[in-house]
Amino acid sequence: MKYALFLGCKIPAQLPAYEASMRAVLGHLGVTLVDLEFNCCGYPARNYSHEAFVAAAAHNLALAERAGLDLLTPCSCCFGTLRHAIRFLNEDAQLRARVGQALAAEGLAWSGKTAVEHLLPVLARTVGVDALAAAVRIPHAGLRVAAQYGCHALRPSDVTGIDNAMAPTLFETLIGVTGATPVDWPRRLDCCGDPLHEANTALSERMTQAKIADALESGAEVICSACPHCHLRFDALQAGSPEPSIRTLLYTQLLGLAMGLPAKSLGL
Amino acid sequence: MSPGLFQTALYASLALCGLGLIWRASAWFRVRIGTDARAVTWSGRMAAVFRGTTWVLFSRRLFAVLGALFLDVLLLRRLYTNEKLRWFAHLLIVVGFTLLLLVHALAPIVSAKLFQGYQPTLDPYLFLRDLFGVMVLAGAALLLLGRRPARRELAQTRGRRNTVFMALLAFVLVSGFLLEASKIASPRAFYRMTDQFMGTTDPQTLAPLRALWASEFGVAFADMKQPIDPSLVEQGRKLNSESCAACHAKPASAFVSYQLARMVASVTSLLDEGHADVWLLYLHVFACFLGLASLPFTGLFHVVAAPLSLLINAATQDRALPAQRFSTAGRAARRALALDACVRCGICDLRCSVAPLARYLGNAGLLPSHKLLAIGALAGGRLLRAGHEGEALRAADGAFLCTDCGRCTSRCPVGIDLADLWEAGRSDLAAAGLPTPAQWVQARPALEWGEFLQAHPGLHTLRDTDASRAPLSADRSTFSRCVQCQTCTNVCPVVAHSIDAEHGIDLTPQKVMNLLRLGLRDLTLGSRMVWDCASCYQCQESCPEGIRVADIMCELRGLAVRRLGSVRDWKEPS
Repeated sequence: MKYALFLGCKIPAQLPAYEASMRAVLGHLGVTLVDLEFNCCGYPARNYSHEAFVAAAAHNLALAERAGLDLLTPCSCCFGTLRHAIRFLNEDAQLRARVGQALAAEGLAWSGKTAVEHLLPVLARTVGVDALAAAVRIPHAGLRVAAQYGCHALRPSDVTGIDNAMAPTLFETLIGVTGATPVDWPRRLDCCGDPLHEANTALSERMTQAKIADALESGAEVICSACPHCHLRFDALQAGSPEPSIRTLLYTQLLGLAMGLPAKSLGL
Repeated sequence: MSPGLFQTALYASLALCGLGLIWRASAWFRVRIGTDARAVTWSGRMAAVFRGTTWVLFSRRLFAVLGALFLDVLLLRRLYTNEKLRWFAHLLIVVGFTLLLLVHALAPIVSAKLFQGYQPTLDPYLFLRDLFGVMVLAGAALLLLGRRPARRELAQTRGRRNTVFMALLAFVLVSGFLLEASKIASPRAFYRMTDQFMGTTDPQTLAPLRALWASEFGVAFADMKQPIDPSLVEQGRKLNSESCAACHAKPASAFVSYQLARMVASVTSLLDEGHADVWLLYLHVFACFLGLASLPFTGLFHVVAAPLSLLINAATQDRALPAQRFSTAGRAARRALALDACVRCGICDLRCSVAPLARYLGNAGLLPSHKLLAIGALAGGRLLRAGHEGEALRAADGAFLCTDCGRCTSRCPVGIDLADLWEAGRSDLAAAGLPTPAQWVQARPALEWGEFLQAHPGLHTLRDTDASRAPLSADRSTFSRCVQCQTCTNVCPVVAHSIDAEHGIDLTPQKVMNLLRLGLRDLTLGSRMVWDCASCYQCQESCPEGIRVADIMCELRGLAVRRLGSVRDWKEPS
């Protein structure tokens, strides 16, 4: 189990705990992570130029391809963007040719050999639930946890394909492995509001607040995210907010704690 | 050179340098970057700098700053971690130049006091002077050769200001070597010394010394008979040790100048007649003075600004409480300093997360070093002048496509807080009428944008010239299956959270699809629904007809940026 680690831009700059906890957990589970100097996944350019977004994503895919590795990302938005780029490259021969030309100028090429994987299915299927269960030493007995997938990990399912997008169970299974109880919350598949934060702050905050309130009403003690954007958005809204707040954890932190890894190594 | 002229020129250069430094440093208290900096007065910045300095001096942070002074400023640690070759070259220049300055240029107040029996014509000083000079030249050559070829279409920002001082530096060094060489080879210099120190001009007395200095000291006597009599040389050696050796060593240890002297030996009489040693001395000294006087106005100013930037970086790296420790006034001063501290090394550009985007879009304005220049131009009022619209728009694209990944800040060899600079730059751009696309598009209703496009026939047709850039919304088969069932609208969280008319959306997703079906794509481009779309893909996942609603929304936003961007008048945001 060896992957090129694709952290994206958000994690190194604003959420180093995700990187730390991911390395700590995967290191114990026998997954090797290789560091390549990737660039922006292309997500911010999706609203700017269709071609440029695909080209930026393809640059990353080509870097991983040159290293002969599949790409693993803990960021749902990076995951969705890279998967989308593969779809557009496959659909549009003209685009593929133009992007190929730009890559060739950098001494790179994209042929589609590199798979883009999300952290959750790699943990659940490649490492395997049994291996995770065997690694858990201090189960979170009774802890009620709400799973936050991150939209772009789930939808559109014909691009992401990690689970049934309407009724996913993957993350809930992973929470169950740690001994915690996954909570069923009505807004679990809703957007966290992060993509709109700059464009329409008020709307974005209503969306975030609605999710937090829903998780609390559903009896959750923790919102556990698999996307840095969601995690940071929950934290940002709760900082200094008079509304009742909920604890936030990254899945790699929840799992790492259950595995008995020192909190410090998980960025806690 | 007359002492009067020398002193006048020296003091004039020092005065110019001093005034220039004051002028340049005053910019750190004047130049406003970031809308938050506009509320801060220059005296407020002065006070912040004073408070900060006092705090550093009387806290444990002093050790961090002293550590940075040694590791970051003197040993250039941050450059070392980036590019070893450039670090080595830069260190050669710094060490060589500093030692030349102390041991040679400031000899009367440094070497003469520090080293007993110092004479510029004795070893090891003869040797060291050349060695230091070679270090500087070798470093400069390495820097020049190590320059990366400009990355394809993206021009580098390395400006004239670096070329000017590098040329001056090279001129000082080369003129110094030539001066030394001309003096070594010069018979005139020989006679001047014998006259001054031996008190004789008698050819008979000097003949043995001439023989020795011609054969072993590199003096090119035009009238010397060849071959030189070895016994005469031996006599000369005796005379030399009695009269000369105490103050003058064999110049062969000045390994560069001596070789140069041998190379110019054949034209020495010509050089002597033309008083080459005199005008070379003038050139050398005045080039030094020119360098001194122009220091504040060339790229050499980074020797002042970059160390300051590094020390401030060390002083403010308080991971726990950066905001409280570092006031708005302090940040304002630091941003202005950043414009001077940047040496245009381009390391940030190489590491930039959106560099592939910059290359693909052909817009260097996305790259950090270009953004820094644009921020300077904006603060100086140059970016918004008539005729610079294209430049300003490219700068805005650069500002808003930045992902804030922080790689530029972590890599900057002079410790500039670029992340803070980008945030400040975006606030300035927004205040100047260049906000994010979402903001400027939504400043007008969709209908108004539609009318604008109607007035520009080249932009509004569906028979697209750039279908490749909008493959979904230009292809009827993508959305023609829409049966207006409203499923997309019903699952849309944006629709659900739009609580009132003022903050609500104008269209629903299914209406956007309907406008596309009717061939009215122009009317969708500025719509709030399109721009408030969170791209959460609920609509696309739920559509019973498999229409890629969210993908189309993304594409419409990109199309709007280009189409509406070409008709918007950004100097008058509504």
